[in-house]
Amino acid sequence: MKKTLTLISAIAFLFTSCDKDKAIATDMTINFTHTVDASELMTNSMIYTNEAGENYDIQTLKYLISDITLHSENGSSLLLDEVHFIDISDESTFSLTYNEVPNNNYTSISFDMGLDTAKNISNKYVNDDFHTTMFWPEPNGGGYHYMKLEGAYNNDSTFYNTHTGGTMGADYSFNHVENISLTVDNDLGDVSVNINMEINNWYNSPNQIEFSSYGMGIMMNMMMQMNIQMNGITDVFSVTVDN
Amino acid sequence: MYLLLGAILIISCKKDLAPISGCTDNIAINYNPNAITEDQSCNYFSTTPYVIETPYGFPDMKIPSDNPMTVEGIALGEKLFKDPILSADNTQACINCHQQNFSFSDPNQFSTGIDNIQGNRNASALINLGWNTSFNWDGSSLTLEEQAFEPVTNSIEMHNTWMNVELELNSHSDYPFLFKQAFNINYIDSNHIVKAIAQFERTLISTDSKLDRYLKNEEQLTISELNGYAIFNTEKGDCFHCHSTNMFMDNLFHNNGLDIEPFIDIGRAKATSNPSDNGKFKTPTLRNVEMTAPYMHDGRFATLEEVVEHYDSGGKYSTTVDPLMKKLGVGLQLSNQEKKDLVAYLKTLTDHEFITQ
Repeated sequence: MKKTLTLISAIAFLFTSCDKDKAIATDMTINFTHTVDASELMTNSMIYTNEAGENYDIQTLKYLISDITLHSENGSSLLLDEVHFIDISDESTFSLTYNEVPNNNYTSISFDMGLDTAKNISNKYVNDDFHTTMFWPEPNGGGYHYMKLEGAYNNDSTFYNTHTGGTMGADYSFNHVENISLTVDNDLGDVSVNINMEINNWYNSPNQIEFSSYGMGIMMNMMMQMNIQMNGITDVFSVTVDN
Repeated sequence: MYLLLGAILIISCKKDLAPISGCTDNIAINYNPNAITEDQSCNYFSTTPYVIETPYGFPDMKIPSDNPMTVEGIALGEKLFKDPILSADNTQACINCHQQNFSFSDPNQFSTGIDNIQGNRNASALINLGWNTSFNWDGSSLTLEEQAFEPVTNSIEMHNTWMNVELELNSHSDYPFLFKQAFNINYIDSNHIVKAIAQFERTLISTDSKLDRYLKNEEQLTISELNGYAIFNTEKGDCFHCHSTNMFMDNLFHNNGLDIEPFIDIGRAKATSNPSDNGKFKTPTLRNVEMTAPYMHDGRFATLEEVVEHYDSGGKYSTTVDPLMKKLGVGLQLSNQEKKDLVAYLKTLTDHEFITQ
């Protein structure tokens, strides 16, 4: 009897030590960073100039990134988060952590700016924090804002609202894929990936966008939604890896 | 002498033989004050859980874990809400300034307290409160329980003290039993008073308006109401960004361009001490807005037409005005018919059942 007990405790001890090994598995942090002309975003200061030559500040920036996925060299993929809401006024939204990333050589990361048609459905995220603030009304097609980017331009009392979203049933979300070199190995420690939004690039190349023409709202303007989507695809997002 | 000794022996034997056993917990229904030995027989009032169904397009209501909804708690809260016993001179109840006919709001610009002193903000409608993440125009309370503490002791409202309220309720003919029934307590304290009131307030749910029936294909809107619906929900009127979702509010604070600086009432900044919150107020729901005149934090607009005129003007510039007021200086430029349509739409948010139930 005594021997059995000793054996049991030995096994229990072994399991415990296995758990300890597991506890040092690699965690991954995704950081969301924001720049204007490659400098870190400073809100509420009219220090920026768009390609059209208008001075502007940034007071509100809220957006949704979805289907954040890592792809490995052997073809497997790992969904890190279905939808992540970032609000420039709330630092707790600037990063997300995925625990225990399996060991692998990851070769690319992909994500959607906004929500694709399968996700962009009214009330689908009714219990998420962003539901009320990102809601996009039914008469405009329903679903959610992909992004709210707001501030003043030229002087403090003229405002622009760049609100993007699926308009009248058309899907203007877009996928961003970036090749990375990321080796996850439990012996090498935690890793982080930074997804940067270069805000000024929403307003230039290939399409120059003037606040004086489009500041008062583009939610029903399918051409502008498409132009901003094209600008977004071109050079708004970039990804860096801290190994 | 022997006799006395014998008597003592008998008495002590008796005590040993028959110790009184029973329920020794003074909160139990069958508490026996003479019982010395606990016999595990205690029975307690059992409460009946009350389930709130989530209305279409609403998130699940977040109910504090230390104040679950019960039928008994809600009934007690309703009694307290309507009972002037909470005010210092027993003349005013919560319902005096939150009148059911007006969707539990005050038709007066400012409410008058027991000492005939007026406040400086309009009493809000109490409707769908369980989905709010803060309370009061400046969001100074984070829970309904916390909010209910204020009016009772506010010197220009009920002007009472909690010590006095507790004293009166504990010596009342009905309340001690009702609190025992709802919370299994013997002594009524302020924490349980506000818990009961908060439970009642969470049941004030209104989602049966003409618009709700229209969205369920049960009723048609008029052409004018439909035009208003389109103005409201596009950037033409741009009402939906703040009065968003089926709740018709966003739980956020905005400066909607009512005034230039300096502000008479700094609003949200009063709660946060952050100057960037100056002049911001909590977005009220627009459900039952037809019944909750006057409008704005200070009740400055008597009619919905005046409210629409304010937004149509584009509003006034101040350093904290919301960038959503993007037609500042230009205005919405609605035609007279469009303004009428917008008001007609706002009136489809009226829930007539709510004020009679």
